[in-house]
Amino acid sequence: MVAVEVTAGIRMHVNIEQRMLEGYRSKSMELKWARRRNSKNSITSEEKLLRPTAGALVPFYISTDPKHINPDELQNLYAACNHSCYRFPNHVDDGGRVEPVDIHKLRIALSHSSVLVSVFCKPRYIVEDNDDIAISTTNSPFSIMGVGNFLQRVMPLPVSPFNGQLVGFGRAISDYGLTASIYDVMVIPSFRRMGIGQTIVKRIVRMLTSRDIYDIAALCSDNERLFFKACGFGDDILGSTTMMYTRSTSTTYEVDQRTTRAGRRFLLIPPVREPCGSSQKTVS
Amino acid sequence: MLTFNATSLSSSSSSPVVSFDFNCPVSSQLLLFPCKFNNRYTRVSRNYKIFQLKAGFWESIKSGFVKNNTTQVIEPPSPLERDEEPLPQEFVLVEKTEPDGAIEQIIFSSGGDIDVYDLQALCDKVGWPRRPLAKLAAALKNSYMVASLYSIRKSPGSEGGEKKKLIGMARATSDHAFNATIWDVLVDPGYQGQGLGKALVEKLIRALLQRDIGNISLFADSQVVEFYQNLGFEADPEGIKGMFWYPRY
Repeated sequence: MVAVEVTAGIRMHVNIEQRMLEGYRSKSMELKWARRRNSKNSITSEEKLLRPTAGALVPFYISTDPKHINPDELQNLYAACNHSCYRFPNHVDDGGRVEPVDIHKLRIALSHSSVLVSVFCKPRYIVEDNDDIAISTTNSPFSIMGVGNFLQRVMPLPVSPFNGQLVGFGRAISDYGLTASIYDVMVIPSFRRMGIGQTIVKRIVRMLTSRDIYDIAALCSDNERLFFKACGFGDDILGSTTMMYTRSTSTTYEVDQRTTRAGRRFLLIPPVREPCGSSQKTVS
Repeated sequence: MLTFNATSLSSSSSSPVVSFDFNCPVSSQLLLFPCKFNNRYTRVSRNYKIFQLKAGFWESIKSGFVKNNTTQVIEPPSPLERDEEPLPQEFVLVEKTEPDGAIEQIIFSSGGDIDVYDLQALCDKVGWPRRPLAKLAAALKNSYMVASLYSIRKSPGSEGGEKKKLIGMARATSDHAFNATIWDVLVDPGYQGQGLGKALVEKLIRALLQRDIGNISLFADSQVVEFYQNLGFEADPEGIKGMFWYPRY
């Protein structure tokens, strides 16, 4: 933290937080267009009025600024995409829905992520899903003042994080030197297959490579693999094996087996081995 | 919300010394609507405190004028976050007395205070490709936890000469909440086979799990897959694989 005394009476703390600053130094307007692919199912005439027609261009705003992300909105996005932060998630019902993400932990994760990418779109392009997941209403100042629709009709402003709804997200963790890992790339179901996810991943990769980090990994399950392959990811050239810690119980009988829950798994915390002081006794 | 971008003061770019970053919601809005509209908006968006580390320009002016206002202009990092950083530990893992009377201690340290030159030498010993030192240093600094092993050799007699040598290291990056990846586990070949690597990795896992960081992953070379399996890691659990980015020119 660097305190800069500008004038008497006004004191502004300028936080030179190295982690996030460089990420959003370039504040160019990040408006992009996505084209809806033709849907395979036939669309009824009523739906055509509600849905933007296939092939129509949908404007979206992609941002790398962490300040544009509202954790509550993000929590809703996780729920809408049925995405869990745990790799072995707990299913709350038979429909395959995962438990909602802990907002406190989400905040911590966001503050410690190196790259945060969010995608916004104007609410009128968003169509409610069939399984009745209510997408949270936009909390832009327009709607609060109650003149939102009127203003949007009279003076249509381009989509921005402040008048748009969060429809896509992606984040990466890096050590700012050698490696990075991409996590939690998601787009709401009605906006998929439009190239938004690829744009998110490409933006994350661009931000990392601009900082000279080329060792970028992404953990993906079976259904995500094709997506990452299309984004330019592949198996490790060195042939390394991906491994995750999954030990739940120890084979040897331990008096005090402490576990911590991670989704539906209870991971065993390795017991503390006494650091020895006497000679010629080796540990483990 | 106007924010004062002070990084330009220290940068050596050709841009002017002071530049105001107009961090406005939509740049056109500033022209169309009066400034007090921005104020109301910034108050609404203050729900999430964690990103309000930069003082809003208008808030700081307001706080200067209004007495006893409860607007917190600066948001200090919450104490809860500070406690979540892993506390550095250092203790003796093994102590051996050699035939000539010298005592060798193997110290475990999680302080992360590693000399990059020592680390580079250790990487050379195990046969890893060389990586730029600046990048190594940055990686160590920004890792969630760096566990290291040192060997301290005290020669017999009253010479008091202590030789401290880096003999092992492991580090993990994390978002402090859900995910962590373990990178760069290495132990000096002369000290391998004693369970030191196992101790290093177990310490990392314990520190991560105690913070409820559940997704611990790593990318293992083929010859060490069994080593990690013994530690409780599973290869490709439930079909989860890691993919790496390949630049396409």
